[in-house]
Amino acid sequence: MFWDKEFETMDEGALRALQLERLRWTIGQADRSPMYRNRFARDGVPKIKTMDDVRRLPFTTKQDLRDAFPYGLLAVPLEEVVRLHSSSGTTGNPTVIYHTKADIDGWGDLMARCLYMSGMRKNDVFQNMMGYGLFTGGLGFHYGAEKLGALTIPIGPGNSKRQIWFMQQFKTTVIHILPSYALRLSMFFEEMGLDPRKDLSLRIAYVGSEPHTEETRRRIEEIWGIKAYNSYGLSEICGPSVAFECPSQTGMHLWEDRFLMEIVDPKTGDPLPDGEEGELVLTTLQRAATPLIRYRTRDLTRILPGPCPCGRTSRRLDRIKGRSDDMLIINGVNVFPLQVEKALVKIPSLGSNYVIELRTENFMDRMHVNVELGRDAFQGTLPELERLQARVTEELKAEIGFTPVVKLVEAGSLPVPEGKAIRVVDQRDKQ
Amino acid sequence: MPQHLSIFVENKPGKLERITAVLAEAGINIRAVSMADAGEFGVVRILPDDPDKGLAALKAAHFTVTKRKVLIALIGDKPGALHELLVQVAEAKANVQDCYGFVTEEGKRAAIVIEVEKFPEAEESLRARGVRLMADSGIHSL
Repeated sequence: MFWDKEFETMDEGALRALQLERLRWTIGQADRSPMYRNRFARDGVPKIKTMDDVRRLPFTTKQDLRDAFPYGLLAVPLEEVVRLHSSSGTTGNPTVIYHTKADIDGWGDLMARCLYMSGMRKNDVFQNMMGYGLFTGGLGFHYGAEKLGALTIPIGPGNSKRQIWFMQQFKTTVIHILPSYALRLSMFFEEMGLDPRKDLSLRIAYVGSEPHTEETRRRIEEIWGIKAYNSYGLSEICGPSVAFECPSQTGMHLWEDRFLMEIVDPKTGDPLPDGEEGELVLTTLQRAATPLIRYRTRDLTRILPGPCPCGRTSRRLDRIKGRSDDMLIINGVNVFPLQVEKALVKIPSLGSNYVIELRTENFMDRMHVNVELGRDAFQGTLPELERLQARVTEELKAEIGFTPVVKLVEAGSLPVPEGKAIRVVDQRDKQ
Repeated sequence: MPQHLSIFVENKPGKLERITAVLAEAGINIRAVSMADAGEFGVVRILPDDPDKGLAALKAAHFTVTKRKVLIALIGDKPGALHELLVQVAEAKANVQDCYGFVTEEGKRAAIVIEVEKFPEAEESLRARGVRLMADSGIHSL
């Protein structure tokens, strides 16, 4: 049942005491990095007597990480560092996170805890279809699965037929895959004359790295005939393993022995109570090389109130609603790309791929949604396409509150990047 | 019963050309083609000499395509012939969903492809009114 029963089931009092102790350690550790040392020298080293003092600590933002590039956040001598992970840095300096040997071991152990919780065991064959390299998704799961003792296949993403061939040959039981890729890959089943329930040995898919809806998860489970588990992580806070679903699939346990979580109002930064939606703010509690204090994740979610039937005491995060900087403002209306997906998944005759295009037309914002027609859904008539187009428009209007321009496109015609799917193309006039 | 292929296409330059390229490559003879569009997308109908082979070739090229039953009426290539046929279709109370035609022998004979809602009834009713309908194999010999 448990990988680490002591920490997974620790009662609340003990958990808060542990957090307080580890938070003090983190502040001391942060004081060794140039960025925090300067900040503390300017504003004083924060004194933490109780957990309520947390809100007096200053936030750390993505911009702080960029400004500290390359070594400004490093809190240990270089000789103790064994690895770095980094963002792509397409919009400025990359954000870089360093790890000591102990950091990597701790991360691998936490990842193993997540995998064990959701049912992976030593005798599983794990095909890791996520990108390796600077991106944390591939290596994070890889180390966790090895730590757990499962046979780990570091195949990486892409080459769909070979992925399926590997699954058949090695009798893969567990995969780690982007949700958009899980849906796309299933289109090959028919072409290869393959029934995933009979011809494959799969039982678990870890789907993550892309925000997706509950409906998308259920669709993946249905098509593949397996359990699909959601997870949450970001490279600044080590990557995958930060929060993970247990078998009850009701929210993701965010490991409170390793991280301090808060939900704050994204505008004011004021803390919000459990159950209310806001921005997730995280503090690392055990990372030596790059401690982060009150990091603004920009991910919008809420803490699910109440205990989980699985017995783990770390509180659960709800599905991520979107990233605060993913939010689209269309003629003053707030829209998250996930809302569009939520509406589209309701219609079975559509394919899995879609693109949202924003344009300026007659000085107004206009949202265009291009969505692929399902390959097998087409009966061959024009009226059916017009009815489908009208239904898609209605479903979207019900979800987002205004009428978008819907265009049906051929299956396979939208661009399919190797990594995370690109869902929004903003072509509005920049004033 | 004869069949034609119905292909979903976006309205973009080069779309039809992609379809004909696939069929040419597969050695399929196209008897007739028609197109209906609803702005940004539409449906192309192709009457091939071998619908099964055509369907397989287009599917392999990842087209969204399906095969549909049609009636092919043979009429004279002269003024008033189509009108005469359509009067009979109306009398048979057949609801026409799609209709296109082509001349098979200049000045003598034309073929009209009709897609109707209720097939067996419409077919029977038209035959009873003396309309010449092509048999399944007829398409090869046109």
